[in-house]
Amino acid sequence: MADKIYWKGLEEKNQLISFTESESKEFAENLPVVGSAVDAISTKGNTNRRDFLKMLGFSVTAATIAASCEIPVRKSIPYAWKPEEIVPGVANYYASAYFSAGEFNSILVKTREGRPIKVEANKQSTVTGHGTSARAQASVLSLYDGSRYTNPRKGKENITWDTADKEVKAKLESIKAAGGKVALFTSTVASPSTKAVIKDFIATNPNVEHLVYDAVSYSGLLDANQQSFGVRAVPNYQFAKAKVIVGVGADYLGSWLNHTEYEADWAVNRRVSKANTAMSKTFQIECLPTTTGFKADVRVPVKPADEIAALIAIYNIVTGSSAAGALQNAKVEAAAKALVAAKGESLLVCGSNSVHAQLLTNAVNSALGNYGTTLGFDRPVYLKQGSDTAATALFEGLKNGTYKGVLFYEANPVYNYAKGKELSELISKAELSVSFANRLDETSSVTAYVLPDNHYLESWNDIEVKAGILNTVQPTISKLFDTRQFQDTLLTYSGQTVKYYEYMQKNWETNFYPKQTKYTGFWAFWDTTIHDGEVVLNVAPTATTAGNPNLAEAASVLADSVKGYGENQLKIYESSVIGDGTHSDNPWLLEIPEPVTKVTWENFVMVSPKFVEKNGLQPDLEMKDYHVIKLKAGDVELELPVVAVPGTPENTFGVALGFGRTAVNHDLLKVGKNAYPLLTSGLDIVGNVTWTKAGKTEKLGITQTHHNLTLKGLGGTRTRHIIKETTLEEYKQNPYAGNEDRADILEHLVTLYPTHNFPGHHWSMVIDLNTCTGCNACVVACNAENNIPVVGKDQVVRAREMHWLRIDRYFAGSEEDPTAVFQPMLCQHCDNAPCENVCPVAATNHSSEGLNQMAYNRCIGTRYCANNCPYKVRRFNWYDYAGNDSFDKKWGTGNDAGLAAYQLGMREPLTRMVLNPDVTVRSRGVIEKCSFCVQRLQDAKLTAKKDNRPLLDGEAQTACQTACPTNAITFGDRNNKEAAVAKLFNEERAFGVLEELHTLPNVMYLTQVRNTDKEAKA
Amino acid sequence: MHAYESDYREPLIGPSVKSYTQITDELVRPTEGVPPLSWWILFSIMGMGTLFFLFCLGWTIWFGIGTWGLNKTVNWAWDITNFVWWIGIGHAGTLISAILLLFRQRFRTGINRAAEAMTIFAVICAGVFPLLHTGRQWLDFFIFPYPNTRGPLWVNFNSPLLWDVFAISTYFTVSLLFWYSGLMPDFATIRDRSKSKTRKFIYNIASFGWQGTAKQWQRFESLSLVLAGLATPLVLSVHTIVSFDFATSVIPGWHTTIFPPYFVAGAIFSGFAMVETLMLIVRKLFKLEDYITVNHIESMNKIIVLTGSIVGIAYITELFIAWYSGYLYEQHAFYNRALGKYWWAYAIMMSCNVITPQAYWFKKVRRNLLVTFVLSIFVNIGMWFERFVIIVTSLADDFLPSSWAYFSPTWVDIGIYVGSMCLFMTLFLLFARTFPVIAIAEVKSIFRTSSAVAKAERAKEAGSSSGGYVGSYQVGILDKDAKN
Repeated sequence: MADKIYWKGLEEKNQLISFTESESKEFAENLPVVGSAVDAISTKGNTNRRDFLKMLGFSVTAATIAASCEIPVRKSIPYAWKPEEIVPGVANYYASAYFSAGEFNSILVKTREGRPIKVEANKQSTVTGHGTSARAQASVLSLYDGSRYTNPRKGKENITWDTADKEVKAKLESIKAAGGKVALFTSTVASPSTKAVIKDFIATNPNVEHLVYDAVSYSGLLDANQQSFGVRAVPNYQFAKAKVIVGVGADYLGSWLNHTEYEADWAVNRRVSKANTAMSKTFQIECLPTTTGFKADVRVPVKPADEIAALIAIYNIVTGSSAAGALQNAKVEAAAKALVAAKGESLLVCGSNSVHAQLLTNAVNSALGNYGTTLGFDRPVYLKQGSDTAATALFEGLKNGTYKGVLFYEANPVYNYAKGKELSELISKAELSVSFANRLDETSSVTAYVLPDNHYLESWNDIEVKAGILNTVQPTISKLFDTRQFQDTLLTYSGQTVKYYEYMQKNWETNFYPKQTKYTGFWAFWDTTIHDGEVVLNVAPTATTAGNPNLAEAASVLADSVKGYGENQLKIYESSVIGDGTHSDNPWLLEIPEPVTKVTWENFVMVSPKFVEKNGLQPDLEMKDYHVIKLKAGDVELELPVVAVPGTPENTFGVALGFGRTAVNHDLLKVGKNAYPLLTSGLDIVGNVTWTKAGKTEKLGITQTHHNLTLKGLGGTRTRHIIKETTLEEYKQNPYAGNEDRADILEHLVTLYPTHNFPGHHWSMVIDLNTCTGCNACVVACNAENNIPVVGKDQVVRAREMHWLRIDRYFAGSEEDPTAVFQPMLCQHCDNAPCENVCPVAATNHSSEGLNQMAYNRCIGTRYCANNCPYKVRRFNWYDYAGNDSFDKKWGTGNDAGLAAYQLGMREPLTRMVLNPDVTVRSRGVIEKCSFCVQRLQDAKLTAKKDNRPLLDGEAQTACQTACPTNAITFGDRNNKEAAVAKLFNEERAFGVLEELHTLPNVMYLTQVRNTDKEAKA
Repeated sequence: MHAYESDYREPLIGPSVKSYTQITDELVRPTEGVPPLSWWILFSIMGMGTLFFLFCLGWTIWFGIGTWGLNKTVNWAWDITNFVWWIGIGHAGTLISAILLLFRQRFRTGINRAAEAMTIFAVICAGVFPLLHTGRQWLDFFIFPYPNTRGPLWVNFNSPLLWDVFAISTYFTVSLLFWYSGLMPDFATIRDRSKSKTRKFIYNIASFGWQGTAKQWQRFESLSLVLAGLATPLVLSVHTIVSFDFATSVIPGWHTTIFPPYFVAGAIFSGFAMVETLMLIVRKLFKLEDYITVNHIESMNKIIVLTGSIVGIAYITELFIAWYSGYLYEQHAFYNRALGKYWWAYAIMMSCNVITPQAYWFKKVRRNLLVTFVLSIFVNIGMWFERFVIIVTSLADDFLPSSWAYFSPTWVDIGIYVGSMCLFMTLFLLFARTFPVIAIAEVKSIFRTSSAVAKAERAKEAGSSSGGYVGSYQVGILDKDAKN
């Protein structure tokens, strides 16, 4: 029986009841959770079995789903000690310099989280301050190349540095003891500190001889200067000061000497405006079409030997001599007369490696009084110092046993010496053979030891490009592999313990610091120089002594050689993209279309269109299969496909150097044929060549076939006004010359729809066709900046190159003597973009700043936008080029297209270190295209915002713009009326491509103006 | 249906068909019993082709669109060509079932069932291509405007591709309804004849328990009319919208206002040709000469010569306008089409679509079955090339000569196209063995008015000696009867 409850009053009774009730609860009061599980299971009586089951079901399911989804494991190592200067997401720039194969660029290296990812022009440089070359841009990829040596090697085996040092030192000693000689075989060394290191090395090893050669030799020019002026150096050419420039086979805008500098200088007098109509006049006498030729006001196509004959003609006219063998050609005569007329302000440059030709060239320039104005030895150029005798000396020395050992630094003679094959046997027989190559090449694959040098982006160095103009090279990443800088190796072998960095510093302190007055205190000088990348020292002009070369004899030797070349002549040339072949294992460069021929991935025989027609060697209907011929010159036979290029004279053949590398990382990089064996005489002309059909065809990846703009249609033959051209005379009279139809087009652009409003920025670009040389630096820069995949030859043959920016080339005139215009073509960011309204999923749309943008995640790849783009600038990811999709990689390589990107290492973790983290890597099946480097625009905008100021004109720059050596590209905000781009946008010369479609492009082009007398309209 | 038909009209049901029972027997027979060896042979070939089709689909999805022959300039080629071609083929079915029903063309009863089936299968084949041609097929659902959490992010209603999605899904739905509703009474007929329980059960479900009551027939007729009313605008709209894919673009050779009528005419043209190709085979295989008479074939041939000529006029108009416009990009596009690197495609298109069908102006040719069969295949080849010419030649050489390119197909392109035909045939073969290929109820509905026997009887009653009808092709049934 329960106890009775006694209570005093009603209140107490009620309290007691509520107390008993609350006693059974865990908490005295209800929890403040509405509708929660606690509520549902509470004792209030609304405990609901159903709710309980619901919740049980939900939580079990949720737990299952959460547990079963595989969450990728991301391994990331945080900075335990964050380096002071590295902020994740913020790029650092370091001044450095690119020097390779005689090409020099003063650069800034962009690094992200300690990784170099992009090369930019060092705008402070007095030499190449405007832009960079294509190869300098591509050099960052070679840092992450799978073909780099990761360790010192003996034969094919990796060894340690200690072993290597011990063995090599021992060998050096034993050779020295036996009285044998050792050759240190290098290409031009432009670094004063390296030279000092070499000197020290030779001092301790007096049996070592330093042989300097250049694969593409300028020996003739150097020797001629030695004879004429007593200075064995390249003069300081100043194209900017020349009113008349005559080039004889010298591709000074493409491959000749330090063309990046010359391009910028040349452009100075080519940039016309209403206010400044002064323009230089350029003549180019050449056998094979080059960009220099097509940019010239007068291009004189002559046969290879006639280049020399033309030089004699110019010599005769200018100096009043009457040497035999002069070419009778009205245009050459005109060129010579123009030179005379512009005495002291003219320039003759000759591409020949013949001493005699260069002697005549010097005589002409002397007679014109050009020394001291357009060229001179105030600051001689040190980019080419090699001698043609060096390689022969090595060859003979190894053969007759004078050289017991040989060390190769930045030299690959097995590949690029005419007798490379025999040389390779001699090298393998030598007592000691060492290569310091940082990557696989033909020479290092036959040397006994490979002591890999650092990549230049991992090194300390200095480069004296011109007398007194020094650039520093600084490491931008710590060594990726177990490599050691060449200079450090030599220092070790000289018995020094000092590091090259300290050595270099000391060298600067003693030799260069005193030659300047700006800084007091070495450290201020040193730190500023490293920061700026370049320093100009006060040096006295190099003293010249007037030589007295026998010009008459030189002319007669030349005249005789001209006669000896016979009917069929071959010209061996340096491709402006690939260069001498040092970098032809770089997929970025291989995929760049050569500017004139638009051929990628291969070399070929350049012939005249008539030749192809006459001999039935036309390519197939699809312009993919090209006939192969066997070209025989002396003992050398080459089997190469023939490509007809307008402007090539008859019976002239052209073959590019730099191809046919065999010691490369992958079979896909073994492209083309090696033309160096043809260079037996050291001259680039080979006479009396014969050819036969090889009876087969080869596929060539040509990105643009030969079309001029005059095309047949139902209304007859008419010209497309895609490019516009005029002459200087016409331009002076009418600034709208060549662009007259634009007013009419604009007048007809009426619309019923509301116009677009861009309240903030309105990004626009203007490209000056006059100064664009088609050099492709912008294309490589775009590749690097925007993570554009390399697709390989097979895909280029199938017309699937991915370049966001391409250079269109259009010929005009006759096939024998055409003119050509280069037009960079990229997304025009049309304000009325045809691509935008056709996308069913709205993946491409317009930003409020006038950008036509892509939402890659939204794109399903109908490619309707690409079809509807009148400019054909949209690119589709046909395959998984970047390897970022979850498709089986092994499967991906097995299909018919043979994913070149995979095989070229573009999917390798090492190569992918070059990717720009600010740009999405696109997946398979989406469209991509130029974004006007939106990531750079954002960066500039944010910088301005952080500084709490409006964006300045020129602050936001696209990658192509910064790379352009001639400043042909202007970019900016058109809403800012003071911006350069806004002014150019409304210039008389400005026109949009296909404006009549009412696409309202945000890219304008400026009419090309040629300084010619006659009509030059396309 | 009108009870009277002029004696001048040729009968639509052959003389050997004497009764409703006979119609039922002859039309249901192909669905009963074991299929003949010829069917099995055809079916296994087509079935293997279908498997290869699926293999090519898988290959494309696994490796990417790169396995096709497309390039940076020609981003659509066989994929969209096949799509437009198949959609066009489907059009005859809709035209026959909708427009000819409204116009009370009795000859449609012999061919409408197969034509509608063909529509369904053709649209299935067509639908594969827009879904497959995208770069990321697994995201194809993005093209449907469904509520989502991405913003919400909607589709782009300005895009003709989106209009296609709506046009084709509507078209497929209406065609399927039309076809299926027509099948219900016939399924009931098959059910009623069935001896096996399973068969009875299946066909009963398929017929939705059709009883054939007056009320059901009344509703059936109303439904047919309503669907015909819905489908009629579709005949015109679907291909009009498909043509907008091209017409609304800026590409010379695509950007023309003539496309909608030109595409619709072309679609009907190719659709009828495909109906003929199929019906001539079915007629022979299933011995249906009395139901698909030469009269049917001739009627279709008349439509073919009409639409073929319309298409021909369109081709010439395009050329004229290109010249007359003075617009050099268009002038080149058409010059290039006719005389450029794809001249052979243009030549095939012209000869198959415009020149050869002109033979149908002659009655003898119209009534010649062998010629009809050959020409029907020609028309389909020609119409495929028409789409190829429009799509590929226009893209290959457009505004900037720098980007001009040439397209050639890979084995995957070819495999998918040929495979889609195999899929089509496989479906059709299955259809022919399980469904009545001729609409039994509809044929019966014209038996009293349009069959040879009925006409002969009417003539007998009227005391005419004309032999049943007064057309040029008397068959003398009464004479034969008299002899018997």
